[in-house]
Amino acid sequence: MPLAAGCGGNDSGSVRALTIVVNAPFSKTPYIGETIARGVELGAAVTGPIDTKGGTIRLHVKRLDNALSPRQAIANVRRAVADGAVAIVDEGTGADASWRIADKAQIPLCVTYQGGIGLVDVERRPYVFRIAPTDRGIAFRLAEYVIPKRLRVAILTDDSAYGDEGRAALAKSFGSNPEAVAISLRLPANTPDLSPQVLRARRSGATALLVWAGPATIANVLTAARTRRWQVPVYTPPSGADPLVRQQLADQPRWVDGLTFASGRMTAELGPHAWRSFESLFESRYGPDVIGVKTSAGLDVVQPPEYAMYSYDFVSVLGAAIGQAGRKDRAALLAALNEVTVRGANGDERGFNLHNHEGVVDDDVYFARFDDMTFAPVQDDPLSSTLPVIKQTRE
Amino acid sequence: MSAITTTRRALREAAADARRSWTGAAWLTVAGAGLAALVPFVVPSSVRLDGLAETGYLAVAAVGLGFAVGIGGMPSIAQGAFVGVGAVCAAHLVGSGWPAPAAALVGAAAAAVGGIGVGIAVVRFRAVYVAAATWITTWLFALGLDAFPTVSGGSRGLVVPPRGSPTIHYELALALVAAAMLAHRTLARSSFGLTLQAAAQRPAAAAALGAETARLRLQAFAGAAAAGGLAGGVAVQLLGVADPSSYGPSLSFQLLVAVLVGGAATALGPVVGVLVFAGLSLAADLLGGITGSETGRFGPMLAALLLLAVLTLGGEGIVAAVSSRLRLDRRRSEVGAAESSLTGASLEARALVKRFGGLVALDAFELEIRPGRMLALIGPNGSGKTTALRLLAGTVRPDAGEVRLDETDVTAEPTAQRVRRGLVRTIQSNALFPALTALEHATVGASLRRRHGALRTVLATPKARREARAVRARALAALRVVGLEERADELPESLTGAEQRLLMVASALATGPRVLLLDEPSAGAAPQDLDRLAGVLRALREGGLAILVVEHNVRLVRAVADEVVVLDAGKRLATGTPDEVAANPAVRAAYFGRQAL
Repeated sequence: MPLAAGCGGNDSGSVRALTIVVNAPFSKTPYIGETIARGVELGAAVTGPIDTKGGTIRLHVKRLDNALSPRQAIANVRRAVADGAVAIVDEGTGADASWRIADKAQIPLCVTYQGGIGLVDVERRPYVFRIAPTDRGIAFRLAEYVIPKRLRVAILTDDSAYGDEGRAALAKSFGSNPEAVAISLRLPANTPDLSPQVLRARRSGATALLVWAGPATIANVLTAARTRRWQVPVYTPPSGADPLVRQQLADQPRWVDGLTFASGRMTAELGPHAWRSFESLFESRYGPDVIGVKTSAGLDVVQPPEYAMYSYDFVSVLGAAIGQAGRKDRAALLAALNEVTVRGANGDERGFNLHNHEGVVDDDVYFARFDDMTFAPVQDDPLSSTLPVIKQTRE
Repeated sequence: MSAITTTRRALREAAADARRSWTGAAWLTVAGAGLAALVPFVVPSSVRLDGLAETGYLAVAAVGLGFAVGIGGMPSIAQGAFVGVGAVCAAHLVGSGWPAPAAALVGAAAAAVGGIGVGIAVVRFRAVYVAAATWITTWLFALGLDAFPTVSGGSRGLVVPPRGSPTIHYELALALVAAAMLAHRTLARSSFGLTLQAAAQRPAAAAALGAETARLRLQAFAGAAAAGGLAGGVAVQLLGVADPSSYGPSLSFQLLVAVLVGGAATALGPVVGVLVFAGLSLAADLLGGITGSETGRFGPMLAALLLLAVLTLGGEGIVAAVSSRLRLDRRRSEVGAAESSLTGASLEARALVKRFGGLVALDAFELEIRPGRMLALIGPNGSGKTTALRLLAGTVRPDAGEVRLDETDVTAEPTAQRVRRGLVRTIQSNALFPALTALEHATVGASLRRRHGALRTVLATPKARREARAVRARALAALRVVGLEERADELPESLTGAEQRLLMVASALATGPRVLLLDEPSAGAAPQDLDRLAGVLRALREGGLAILVVEHNVRLVRAVADEVVVLDAGKRLATGTPDEVAANPAVRAAYFGRQAL
């Protein structure tokens, strides 16, 4: 199938437009959706016109809201196929089903948020890629970090797709150390009062909470624990860094203190310079992402564009692949995606190959802890202690 | 006769029936369906066949719901749940390796079972409570899917390997919509459908004609659920996932609104409603694109505005509004009236007593009517005449005493059973079915004796078609007896007051009664109409029926009654010929004063 056959849109002279569709939950979790979309748009802008043998190509971005519904996500992928999209950047909802549609249409689908096991499979799903920390990596690192502290962990996961995937990943990572798990509970995602479940966790003898859930649920767990003066350490996956947690607890900032989350490192081994350049580029286009809470000193807290980095990097890889494949067929684009390597936003090399479609290494997971509404890498983890603090305030 | 010969004859009869009932509208429908089937082969690739197919499957669910709402009078807000039952069931089966068609059929069956379970509870409710109960049901279903992720797949849903291309699904959806509409139309015009409509419009009148309303409504409700389950079971194989969040109250509400917007009373209405909703989605996308807003916010807003507009304009829906403007008339099949044959039975009331709290409405009431005799029951207002009729008909149970029909004790039998035995009552108020023609009224009565149910009707088997012709012939015969054969195609609003009362008599006659209980048949009749009414009653008596008439009209009583029973304060005051009763001083004092009978 010709790559540029379904381009549609502008066709000024020899410049053709190819569309990248962003399939994300803009209405349900706006922060995630906007971050992913902005990364794609920035990547398309920075990539600029791509010169190929058949002419010049420009990347155009289209947003489709999946509302966290697998059915809507699949419908969006169908629509992307019908519109002749060159690629789909997907938050991950419904990818277990939508990959077939993308696969059949030979459209690369890159997941840049959800890290569920089984989503990416080079053999069975050759057109599915991921640039985001995997649940397996996050769960493994959480177990590796928490178990030596000899804590008894209450694992709390919500009933969202994100929570269900996390539950499966944690079951594997803690499977060898069952004594470290005091209790495992499933929380209703949209329930504001989680006091019964938190109380049950407390009564199980837990000395730590590991909450793998959406940001609203994490905030509700913190509220339930801290209102009962239970100063238990709380660990989360990357969703703990979502601004919504701090926004919901803006009137009780001390409840956020000590919250520790695991996420993909923002800066590279080579140093923070590349990341800071990317951050500056992002803020020059969109402004600093002021999340609406302040530190105790009255400074506005800003969210670093972490997840924008992943979608930005995919567009960079895609642009390089298009440049290599030219305006040939989609199979050639897939082959190019498996070959090209680019320097990512934070300086790390990004690329895929015939055996691996994961763009983030499992080892690149670090831990950060909140203090006064901002976070910094922990010092009691070998990797995290080497990482710089990213400035998160603006005057 | 060999099987081949029988089959050939049946096919010839079927072809003849089809030719008789073929209309211009049928040609249009076939042409439209043919054109629609060509869509995948002529439209550009940008047209999303999967979206059209999904709309088609929704239309199937909507047509099923339309039958329950428009014909059965049950405004169900649970159809989304039944779609979900079919989808989840089929998803599990397909995931286990079942063939796609079998999985969809099992999904439909599961939804039908669910429909029976819910229907058993709701079919006896009034419409507003049907809506409330089904609304609760759809919420319970949604909460159940949340609570049992092993069944529903949780937030990720149940992933289903897609079966069939979008083109195949489109053609399948088109075929299912056509089949659903045909089934709807066939059933709506059958005695099954007419009885359902009668029960929805005037439940008491339909019950008086022996309609087993609850059973018929349960069949309609389960059938609608099955249609929803089938739609869900095939749609999930197109969509690739059974997403629990898609089968919640929102879908149920959307389907009901689509039915109301398009029109609940016709087969085409729900399809039009679904298409309008699809158009609204496109409009919402356009608005969202223009304003830069989330399109999801415009869809419900536009749908709500459209529903308000439809309700403001009368609430009958788009199809009904267009039909009335185009004056699309009903067509009557050309069936001759059957020969009317009447046989009578004896009816006896022995020491009937009925109390309502501390009030004794009827005390030791006795009467006897023989075939070929007419007895008039008279008395002042509140004397217990209607109570007596209700006890005889089985609408209320006596506190003591017996009712015997041809020496058989029927005291404990419900109304429907007594009607089947031939004991039929007309009710006091004008209980006509406003949306049914005179012939359809009588058809409701004549349907009492039908043996073949909804399934045979839908399949139009030779026996079902023969029975349908026989039912209509009996109905026409009943209209002929009361002199309304020429008014067969008219609605009750076009008839005079006297003709309306005669129509009630015809409906009762069509059931094949042996004893007729007539409650004030002359109510609303002008003096010049009394002779006509009297002539009809005499003809029925001379035909062999036993007739009990409750009347206030003295002239009619004198003209037709062989015997008169006078009630006063629940007790029998006098019995005798009209002259004997008129001369009775106690009767004069209690009922007439000094007025001569």
